[in-house]
Amino acid sequence: MLALENVHTYYGKSHVLHGVSIRVEAGEVVGLLGRNGVGKSTTLKTIMGLVRPSAGRISFEGQDITGLAPHRLARLGIGYVPEDRRIFRLLTVLENLRTGLDRAEVTPSRRQELLEKVYASFPVLRERRHQAGGTLSGGEQQMLAIARAMMLEPKIVLLDEPTEGLMPRMVAHIREIIDVLHRDAVAILLVEQNVPLTLAVAGRVYIMEKGAVRHHATATELGANAAVIHQYLGV
Amino acid sequence: MTRSATASYWTGFAIALGVLVVAPFVLPEFWRRFVTEILIWGLLAMSSDILIGYTGMVSFGHSAFFGLGMYGAAAALLTVRPPDLWLAILYGLVGAGGVAVFVAYFATRLRDIYFSITTLVFSQIFYVIIFTWTELTGGENGLTFRQPPLAIPGLLSAPFTPVTLHWFVLAVVTASYLALRRITQSPFGMVLQAIRENEPRTRAIGYPVERYKIVAVMLSGLFAGLAGVLYALQNKFAAPDFVFFVVSGEVVIFNVMGGMGTLVGPVAGAAFFFLLREGFSRFFTEYYLIPVGVIFTLMVIFVPQGLLGFARRALNR
Amino acid sequence: MPFDQILIQLINGIVSGMILALVASGLTLIFGIMDVVNFAHGELFMLGAYAGVTILAATGNFWVALLAACVIIALLGAALQVVALRPLVGRDPLTTILATFGISLVLQNYALWQFGPVARKIQEPFTGHFRLFYLEYPWYRILIAVLSAAIIGMLWLFMKYGKYGIWIRATTQDRIMASAMGIPVPLVHTAVFAIGAAMAAASGVLFGPLVGVNHAMGLDVILRAFIVVVVGGMGNLGGSILAAIFISLLEALASIWVSPAQAVIVSFVVLILTLLFRPTGLFVPTPK
Repeated sequence: MLALENVHTYYGKSHVLHGVSIRVEAGEVVGLLGRNGVGKSTTLKTIMGLVRPSAGRISFEGQDITGLAPHRLARLGIGYVPEDRRIFRLLTVLENLRTGLDRAEVTPSRRQELLEKVYASFPVLRERRHQAGGTLSGGEQQMLAIARAMMLEPKIVLLDEPTEGLMPRMVAHIREIIDVLHRDAVAILLVEQNVPLTLAVAGRVYIMEKGAVRHHATATELGANAAVIHQYLGV
Repeated sequence: MTRSATASYWTGFAIALGVLVVAPFVLPEFWRRFVTEILIWGLLAMSSDILIGYTGMVSFGHSAFFGLGMYGAAAALLTVRPPDLWLAILYGLVGAGGVAVFVAYFATRLRDIYFSITTLVFSQIFYVIIFTWTELTGGENGLTFRQPPLAIPGLLSAPFTPVTLHWFVLAVVTASYLALRRITQSPFGMVLQAIRENEPRTRAIGYPVERYKIVAVMLSGLFAGLAGVLYALQNKFAAPDFVFFVVSGEVVIFNVMGGMGTLVGPVAGAAFFFLLREGFSRFFTEYYLIPVGVIFTLMVIFVPQGLLGFARRALNR
Repeated sequence: MPFDQILIQLINGIVSGMILALVASGLTLIFGIMDVVNFAHGELFMLGAYAGVTILAATGNFWVALLAACVIIALLGAALQVVALRPLVGRDPLTTILATFGISLVLQNYALWQFGPVARKIQEPFTGHFRLFYLEYPWYRILIAVLSAAIIGMLWLFMKYGKYGIWIRATTQDRIMASAMGIPVPLVHTAVFAIGAAMAAASGVLFGPLVGVNHAMGLDVILRAFIVVVVGGMGNLGGSILAAIFISLLEALASIWVSPAQAVIVSFVVLILTLLFRPTGLFVPTPK
């Protein structure tokens, strides 16, 4: 469904991605592991059109999407949950959700349905719906960031380190949400540092090093291969 | 600079200077005056380049310094008998310097756009004061006075002719250019450029950035005031129109058109602007700013490095 | 202390403050969302007034002229944004001040060329007066203040509750995340520029009957608007509106004792004091 073929990305003069190729099939959860600074986040940003690849091709559902503006990609069904969450801090929780919900093709009843669904998954967001996003706790902001992306009714969600800096209870909650999305047949490309979590939720895993994919295996295979995990991730 | 680059720089400098020295003999009256005037506006443009090009602060208030230079010269020439050239320069520099202290102190607290707006507002303060203080400044009509003689104490004293005025202007502008060039290449100039490139880092290294900026604004103001004195000498009047911010806007235009951060570029920009004005005035009469404004806007978008930068790139290709 | 005079000047101050607030809120809206200091904003105000003059002459109806002027200048603003400012996205914000300065030169001289140097007059929609101490105070001035307040109120409601208002606020806070949420950011930028232009045009037409319409009227307005926007805190809509009224009130009171030309200095002094003691703006509650 989503395919990167030999994608190269630069930040100014520094070459960050050296020919990354990744595939995600419909409804599949794919993990993307690697140490800090190997280009995982850049890979997601490149998919989302926030940085333009200098070479290579990105396609989504058979359509070439290389170089498309981010808002078009969002409308095609790619949801993005960035590493630093990037909540609209001065907007209320409900307004944050409305940024993705207020699309012409969504009927009012469907809007209500989507909101109810998200509130069911994240009851705290219903309580806080009239509170400014900036006043939420870190974990709540992470939920809002995921909920906001779900408003787009995405076919795939790009999740960038959703559990970073969260308490264990929150991590468990995020994991449940990933499972919920998976049950709804939403594909997920999950960037993580948390290896056990990734192995538990993902079907397949890519491991990156120095801006390129170095290893590719099913989560089960990788779970059995402590040497590879140690070599690339140091754990 | 390598030795050959240095040599070719000084060769170019000597040729340009030589051409400008003999220009009044070959040019007809109108163009002779035109060249003298461009030298004066060129000096004003260079003075603002210290801020725009080297320190990264776009001043929209250079008319205040220029205008105070004019009124300072007028004050000397109207109150002191007999009129003295050097006293006019001194008064002009004091006037512009006084304003510069004021502007530098307040405006350098702000960065980027805030600095631009503040300088613009400051120049308007002085405009309003000059415009409404009729008893002292002549208000809307300004002040007219007689040209002082070209005097070098103990050597000569003769009335200015168009040719000697041109040479005098050329001498002052050339000396100012060399001084400014020296300043921009000095350690002080390097700090200014560091501020332009990365202000927080320059501060972090330990440079008192605010103090450097204040000195930069003062220097810039003094040279702008000198240009104002020259303009007053050439035209024998001081008028509030030259304190109005439209003049400041033109100075910014010179910089953008010629190439910021090159000193020579803004002078070329001034020449280009006045040539455009002459050319378009024939078809557009007083509405020449319509095409000139269009060209300026296009240059901001497509040739941000200005004529000089563009020429340099074309030569290096 | 001449109490009646002070009261009259207070009312005058509020009237001109509301007009200024209309111009400044457009300016600050544009700055907040795209970091563009629109030097040409005064010219949009001036061209709005001229559009009002022209349409009023053709239709004879002030309200039609007001509305049509807003639409025309909004379209002009949108066109200018697309042509001159879109290519500058991502460059130093200072280049936008230069580009819009170039545009202001063109527009101002275009107006001089098209309409000539003689000031035009807009006939106010009604000429009633009411007795205010020793003065016959025109109702029209009161109407200006009310209408400006209504337009600003509508803007506020739109920003607070409207779908596109939320888009605009989201884009102002985080352009990149807004686009990742499917908000067409370039379109939002153009639309905001058009809204700001329309507000400038509205104030130009409303202000027209009080003074003559001429090609240089934008200069004075843009200068005040800049002061207001800095004093109110750049990009802060509420702050700009308060600052506009505050400064206009001070100037109106000052002009009891000095000439209006000198009263301008009062606002300069306010600006300097603001810069000295509250450089982020007088009316800033919390940074964004």
